[in-house]
Amino acid sequence: MSEIIKIKNVIKEFKVLNRREGLKGSLKDLFSRDYKIVRAVDNISMNIEQGEIVGYLGPNGAGKSTTIKMMTGVLEPTSGEILVDGNIPYQNRTKNAQKIGVVFGQRSQLWWALPLVESFKLLKDIYQIPDAEYDGMLKLYQSLVDIGPLLHKAVRQMSLGQRTLSDILAAFLHNPKIVFLDEPTIGLDVSMKAKIRTLIHALNKEKKTTVILTTHDMGDVDALCQRIVIIDKGKMLYDNDIEHLKGFFGSYRTLKIRVEGDLKAQADIIRREVPDFSVSADDEWISVLVDEDKNKVIDVLGLLQKTHKIRDMQLEEISTEEVIKKIYEEGVQ
Amino acid sequence: MKRKGFIFYLRIYCKILAQDLKSKMSYRADFIISTIGMIFTNISGFVSFWILFRNFPSINGWSYYEMLFLYGFSLVSLTPVQCFFDNNWSLRQNVYSGDFIKYCFRPINMFFYYQSEVFDIKGLGQLAFGIGTLIYSWAKIGLAFTPLMLLKMIVFLLTASLIMIALQNAAAATCFWIQNSFYVLDLAFRFRDYAKYPVTIFSPIFRFIFTFVMPIAFIAYYPSLVILRPHEIPLLSWLSPVIGILFFWASYKIWMHGAMKYSGTGS
Amino acid sequence: MKLKKYLTLTRAGIIEALQFRLSFLVMVVGNMLYLIVVYFLWKAIYASAGTDVVNGMTFTDTLIYLVLATALFNFMEMYTVWEIGRNIQSGKIVLDLLKPMEYRKYLFWSYSGSFVTQFFLTFLPTFIAVAFVTHGAIHMGLNLLYFVISVVLAVSINYSIDFLVGTICLYTESIWGINIMKQVIVLLLSGATIPLAFFPEPLKTIVGYLPFQSIYNAPLSILLDSAPQPHTLLVTLGTQLLWCVVMIILSKLFWKASLKQITVNGG
Repeated sequence: MSEIIKIKNVIKEFKVLNRREGLKGSLKDLFSRDYKIVRAVDNISMNIEQGEIVGYLGPNGAGKSTTIKMMTGVLEPTSGEILVDGNIPYQNRTKNAQKIGVVFGQRSQLWWALPLVESFKLLKDIYQIPDAEYDGMLKLYQSLVDIGPLLHKAVRQMSLGQRTLSDILAAFLHNPKIVFLDEPTIGLDVSMKAKIRTLIHALNKEKKTTVILTTHDMGDVDALCQRIVIIDKGKMLYDNDIEHLKGFFGSYRTLKIRVEGDLKAQADIIRREVPDFSVSADDEWISVLVDEDKNKVIDVLGLLQKTHKIRDMQLEEISTEEVIKKIYEEGVQ
Repeated sequence: MKRKGFIFYLRIYCKILAQDLKSKMSYRADFIISTIGMIFTNISGFVSFWILFRNFPSINGWSYYEMLFLYGFSLVSLTPVQCFFDNNWSLRQNVYSGDFIKYCFRPINMFFYYQSEVFDIKGLGQLAFGIGTLIYSWAKIGLAFTPLMLLKMIVFLLTASLIMIALQNAAAATCFWIQNSFYVLDLAFRFRDYAKYPVTIFSPIFRFIFTFVMPIAFIAYYPSLVILRPHEIPLLSWLSPVIGILFFWASYKIWMHGAMKYSGTGS
Repeated sequence: MKLKKYLTLTRAGIIEALQFRLSFLVMVVGNMLYLIVVYFLWKAIYASAGTDVVNGMTFTDTLIYLVLATALFNFMEMYTVWEIGRNIQSGKIVLDLLKPMEYRKYLFWSYSGSFVTQFFLTFLPTFIAVAFVTHGAIHMGLNLLYFVISVVLAVSINYSIDFLVGTICLYTESIWGINIMKQVIVLLLSGATIPLAFFPEPLKTIVGYLPFQSIYNAPLSILLDSAPQPHTLLVTLGTQLLWCVVMIILSKLFWKASLKQITVNGG
């Protein structure tokens, strides 16, 4: 195993314009401007090994995209060191580009009007992929997903799911050492999400490609990542594997119940009844997060039973979703 | 990794072009309407020209047909910018929406990659109009026709075309620095309308500006002198190919500088 | 209050426009350069003509006419066709249609903020500059009032035409083609590029029967006429009013009919 990405004490600052409010403020802005320095990434260090899938998490505006832009060579760090496969990305952007693949969830990088197979052929020329390798890759793709119907379809005629799938295939086509996936499953339905996760997993296993994944969907994290890195407000909060993280919250249990009536509405009521607990609802269950060091699950259940007719219940370990939520809200001690 | 030379880029451009044309055929209505629009633009240009100069036998010592020659020359030399660099018009939207970032991730020249995406076939209509005008005025003026003159004509047309390309590149690239840069591009676009007039009509200050600062005089006037006034060719006419290349190179540098500075929107 | 909701849109437009101070500079400088080109070109044309008055217009008249035509163009150009076309293609139009305001009005008032900024930043400075340069050749009397009335009508006619043409975008994706055709026709036949007085007789007659001359030629002729006959004034303003009503009705009907067809087809 070798380290493919090395990041050391990286800081990135931006100059942001302070806009004044209202008509008067706009007129003032015309003549004098007021800038402030914002630190988007604040002293981040990490090393990533060849073949890892790393979940890069953080709330909106945490500095994830900025870090990724620095790793891909689009942005130059204000200070600190970044090495991607031995290169400084910003100084050798083209050389770096040859070794990486990038997918942005909602921005296709393929030629809009061209059928997918023609986009692939262009990429083959641009990345100078040898014939044998290209054919091998297409064969691998065929074995993993049903790309037959997609190949001759123009990208603009594809559904969002098909387009994302195509973008991922295109990003892996030149067998890059690292692939950056920025919210690849955003806006997709459940089955498409599953398909894309399986594909990413298979490509990572087959080609030993390092994958850096940013997402807000913890399903992606559970399915793909052994290791997660969490940042917020530009600072690194956590860098280790998920199980280790869950250990911090060992005393937490998720109590899942099913009650009569509309679950979302009932969850709102429960939220009012037990304001100290984190309550959420999906199509099947209402989940209540209980810290066993403070409250007994059985007590909570008893309390709820007084006001609600409980049809069914389950007890689970804390989910990744809830762990991440707690970290965003409270941080790691 | 093999070196990426001229042949590499040419091959990729041809492939994209072929695919692009194929897909354009599926938008027939759009193609027809745009072509009609282009024809309208050219006809209106001619009508304006005719209405204006119908009233006057000559302007500043330039006869009607010589003016027409300049007009034809400007039409032809403005074709490449229309055909090959039309994507500059979308640069602002791409930068603004953040979509431009996709051009940053390919291991090829960004300027090339960006411009290669669009080939504007409408420009060919303008080319036909321009060549027609040139031939007509050439015959009316009674210029001789030799292979050498044809060669001169082609070289000077090509290098003159670089000027407008340079102006447009530089104007489009301003969107990397200022937000509402549409006006800059629109301004550059409007200036090409004045390329067809002899620069001698301006006062010395503006003659200097239109020669060296906003070099629209090199789009038609200076290079045309080589053909039209073969006995009194100023040095600037001979220099026009060099100036064309120089300005193109400078605009390319500006464009690339802006593109490298670009970092996308959002967090 | 009804007017208030429209004025809110105006205010938002002004604030939005003020965010871009560099583009203002570019716009003002650009317009000045453009005017300089017009100045020298026509000076050369008049010098070559040998007479002071061509087609009933002196050099000063022509200069004032063309410079203010450009200023009016900048003032009136709302890029409506592009706006509608893009809104249709992106699907944003669905949201706009849901607003508690007629789309036609919504679009107009959203843009009205830039009327205000454009008036103070481009039209007024240009007007003052021209009045200054021509040593008070613009008569400052009642004709200014008539001019303002005429411009208001012109704005309305221009917007109706734009909206009418923009509606066509519901049927085709070719925004560029549609817009360029409209622009070319309007600019040429309205007398914005060359005063209608210069047009040859039969063309002048035909253009007189079209709505376009009401946009540029009408207000500018009123402004230049220092001693207007009540009869001429009445005919010019009357024709404008007539076209204004006709175009409003036409554009409204066409929009309504098109929208109905589109919603029926679910397009």
